Amino acid sequence: MSAPLSPLPRARVRRRNPWPPVLGVAALAALVGAIAFGNLNQSLEYFVTPTEYQQQRAELQGRPIRIGGLVRNAKYDPQTLNLRFVVSDGGASFPVQYTGAVSDLFKENQGVVVRGQFQGETFHASELVVKHSEEYNVPKTQAELKDMLKTAP
Amino acid sequence: MLNLITFDGGAAAPLGQLSLLGALLFCLAGLGLALLGGVTRDARAVEAARRATWAVFALVSLGTLVLLFALLRDDMSVRYVAEHSMRASPTWIKVTGLWGALEGSILLWAWLLAGFTFILSLTLRRDALRPWALGTMFVSLLFFVGVCATVASPFTPLAAIPADGRGPNPALQNHWMMAVHPVLLYLGFVGLSVPFAYAVAALVTGRLSDHWVVVTRRWTLVAWTFLTAAIVAGGWWSYETLGWGGYWAWDPVENASFIPWLLTTAFLHSIQIQERRGLMRSWNVWLIVLAYASTVLGTFLNRSGIVQSVHAFAGGPVGPVFLGFLALLLVLGTLLAAWRAPRLRDDAEPPAALSREGAFLAGNWLFVVFAVMVLVGTLFPTLVEAVQGRRDASVGPAFYNAFAIPLGLGLLLLMGVGPLLPWRRAEGQGLWRALWPLLAAGLGAAAVAFLLGIRHPGVLATVGLGAYNLLGLGLLTARAAKQAGGLGATLRAQPRRYGAYLAHIGLVVLALGLAGSGTYRRDAQVTLNLGQPVQVLAERLELTAIRQETRPDGRSVVAHVRIDGEPFRARMNTYIQGGDTPFPAPAVRYRFTGDTYLVVTKTDPKGQWASVRLIESPLVSWLWWGTVLICLGASLTLVNPARPVRAAAPRLAPATD
Repeated sequence: MSAPLSPLPRARVRRRNPWPPVLGVAALAALVGAIAFGNLNQSLEYFVTPTEYQQQRAELQGRPIRIGGLVRNAKYDPQTLNLRFVVSDGGASFPVQYTGAVSDLFKENQGVVVRGQFQGETFHASELVVKHSEEYNVPKTQAELKDMLKTAP
Repeated sequence: MLNLITFDGGAAAPLGQLSLLGALLFCLAGLGLALLGGVTRDARAVEAARRATWAVFALVSLGTLVLLFALLRDDMSVRYVAEHSMRASPTWIKVTGLWGALEGSILLWAWLLAGFTFILSLTLRRDALRPWALGTMFVSLLFFVGVCATVASPFTPLAAIPADGRGPNPALQNHWMMAVHPVLLYLGFVGLSVPFAYAVAALVTGRLSDHWVVVTRRWTLVAWTFLTAAIVAGGWWSYETLGWGGYWAWDPVENASFIPWLLTTAFLHSIQIQERRGLMRSWNVWLIVLAYASTVLGTFLNRSGIVQSVHAFAGGPVGPVFLGFLALLLVLGTLLAAWRAPRLRDDAEPPAALSREGAFLAGNWLFVVFAVMVLVGTLFPTLVEAVQGRRDASVGPAFYNAFAIPLGLGLLLLMGVGPLLPWRRAEGQGLWRALWPLLAAGLGAAAVAFLLGIRHPGVLATVGLGAYNLLGLGLLTARAAKQAGGLGATLRAQPRRYGAYLAHIGLVVLALGLAGSGTYRRDAQVTLNLGQPVQVLAERLELTAIRQETRPDGRSVVAHVRIDGEPFRARMNTYIQGGDTPFPAPAVRYRFTGDTYLVVTKTDPKGQWASVRLIESPLVSWLWWGTVLICLGASLTLVNPARPVRAAAPRLAPATD
């Protein structure tokens, strides 16, 4: 017995329900979105210069940030590991307080990035990064500093 | 070729550049021949394309050798040597100069890629996949050799030849690990191009049987093993040289190597479902395309300066070129897979949730989510900058830990249950019978840990899941040994299975190391005065001397400190080309239960005091030992099983377990 010729060839492609992959990807995207945007905004840490901080004080007060500028009036006591200095970008300056060992690179008029938060007018630093350029020179001018701070770690 | 050594200085740059240009020509010819052979099915064209890979390998090898000799002979007429090497360096540092900067590292990448293509040309079967797999390798080669020969040529000559070079980046010569980590990493990255090439070939030819997956399993495993070793070697380098006592900082470039690792790990698991059950065919194609693309993405992030990182080199034109190649890979891969997707039919319905393939699939989703989250965290600051116009924002480790810990624990959970479940489906009853001893062991171990004073929920969960996994693997091994009539018999018959078990044990060890060192690390900073003992972190520290040492390439300050009577010598190295920037070389006492880590941060010029940082972190060495086990296990899975004597039939299909 031969089968009658069908007018159309059988479809080669098996039709698949498109919903499981679509729903899967949507669920994944939603999950990623929820975790990312719920969590990221809190764990986002902005990097500002003292002038920028002055302008956005209300938003950034008490929040962990990084501030970068030049070191002025540094006073360091190696015995207590207490460091006080002023971070300045020419426009604005803020006092910084830090406790911990300080590298030899930390000198007057050099670029520094500090991580921490403002309490009142004083920046309490939890981490100190002395910035140097790729060639391991410390920046000396305001322009060099700006350039370098852009690539702060 | 040996005459090269006697060439006068000026010859290196033109010879190297010529060899790269020659290699580029052979890449173009090989690509054309492979495409011709693929379209016309002319075996002669395919054979010619195959031989073109030999020429490419020979010429790129010549270029690499020229650069190596230029570095060893301090040939300052070559710009790369003048900018990244110097006479005073020890020989091994000069050798590492080959990959210590942008152009050299891309040349090394191209050379390894050419080497892999050469090996592939010897092992490739005479089948329909051959021209297309070769052609895909030629596309990758064309890109990397092309970048080397043009925008990032290491052979640009210098008009004014300096007396001495600027020297290597000081951070890269502080530890021998720098001789190991980049090479391992590139071997891992480059190795992934082979499975990618096979996947493309399978898509183009429409031969979407499971052949390509079977063939590429070994290539993927080798690449994955190198990648695993490379990531941990990078962690060790960071631990030993950066002086912060940590090994992983969720730095964008660390992430860039971790994303391909996650995707490749998922791929290694899901191809087993394809081999065994004929499922997840299109998923596997997507995974390998994305894994390979993520290696290029990693290099792009690394080289473009678009994200901030300790690794970022100043990019130049290389960043956009990599971005273009990445876009090409993604667009072509997507189009190709979308075109062929209707043919990627699975043999059966999607896996049941309670089956081994169900557990593998769930694990795959966790790996993919993990990879996506790491990617989001890595690129988010760049997005913020683009959208909000804020100059710089960064995502701290807290963000990553928030998902990495639960996802990691979820993977440990699935890793224990997966091998216990049978293929196809498990009845609830049988599952419970198999699972309860493991759960009991896990809860028991967690309870013991709790009684011993561990309160951190993540650590308790890791300990519990560790015991649960180890017992599961032990029970499976015992059962198999009983059936096979001895442990040796089952080991010989199933090296692939026990290799996987060993790798899983290694991962448990590594997870315990991560949990212990991440949670119970203690850190203190103090200034030590000469001869005055101080109690820090329950240890007695005494500074006995501060010595200056001069080396040809710089100098070192060495603080001699006794910790509970044992001498530690923490160094601070400075390099000629590094100016005054000191690079710490901590003194680490490695112990099975935990490391004692001492870094000197500042010393008194008169030698009267030194500021130091003391870090005690438990179980750090478990990371290194765990990785050794993982790599051993992965190597074991490559061993062919011993065949029983009576089953002397020729082996047609590869091992399936």
